[in-house]
Amino acid sequence: MEICDIGIRGFEDTLAFQLEMLKKRIDGDIPDTLIIVEHPSVITLGRRSLEENIIDRAYFEGKNIPIVLTGRGGEVTCHSPGQIVCYPIIDLKNIGKDIAGYIDFLEVTVSAALNEIGVNAGRVDGKRGVWTQGKKIAFIGIAIKKWVTYHGVAVNVNNSLEPFLKIHPCGHKEIEVTSVMQQLGKTTDINGVKEALAEKFISGIEGTVGIKQKQGVSA
Amino acid sequence: MELKLKDILKNRAGAVVTLWHAKENAILVKRQDLFEITTDKATFDVECPVDGVLKKIYKKAGDKVTSEDTLAEIIVK
Repeated sequence: MEICDIGIRGFEDTLAFQLEMLKKRIDGDIPDTLIIVEHPSVITLGRRSLEENIIDRAYFEGKNIPIVLTGRGGEVTCHSPGQIVCYPIIDLKNIGKDIAGYIDFLEVTVSAALNEIGVNAGRVDGKRGVWTQGKKIAFIGIAIKKWVTYHGVAVNVNNSLEPFLKIHPCGHKEIEVTSVMQQLGKTTDINGVKEALAEKFISGIEGTVGIKQKQGVSA
Repeated sequence: MELKLKDILKNRAGAVVTLWHAKENAILVKRQDLFEITTDKATFDVECPVDGVLKKIYKKAGDKVTSEDTLAEIIVK
């Protein structure tokens, strides 16, 4: 798996890049690739988002924060600098054609990376995303075309949590959100978190591919 | 042939059909995008498994589906 850290880049621009990489992966021109990015402030909506889950549209309009409808699954979420967004472009034919299983993989991988940097995060039965101390710290919304994944998972690191108070994150009124900074009580080296995520994605994907090949499972 | 989602949903989750890329009576080519489903966290473009004609759509956009449902009938060519 290759890592492609594109720094801070706009959501729409990054989506165009994702789609370019998606096509290349479907055509077999590139290996599995993890795009890592931070977005300028933006609200994104999933395919089934409801208007009622944007509590305070005027807040976002007043701050010139765009609200963008996307083709991913999941509901409304917030992105801003200080939050790491991972867009894995992965061919699931190599690791198992299982949508729910892939979401499990994202949760386990992000949890492992957060544990590595000292945040005791994990999965919660019956809920999607990654959680710590009863609060949600990572948010998932994916899309799959010809069994290749795009969109992905956003991890709150040093970003402000204020915008999350203006939405129902993931469409749930009762969700409280948190960040690495809030959990550790200090600003965190974002590059260190990116490295932990990259390492866990690489070991997770390459380990899974290795196991499948050993078992003789064909793509 | 009856089109089902057993291999995709694997009995683990329900989904909603969000859009069809083809209309009834359309000529279909194997591997073309046929319709999109959305689970709670994922959208998935379902490919046409065969060359044929889309005879009947049983589950339209907005309908909930499970792995057991028949979504459409395709006349295989």
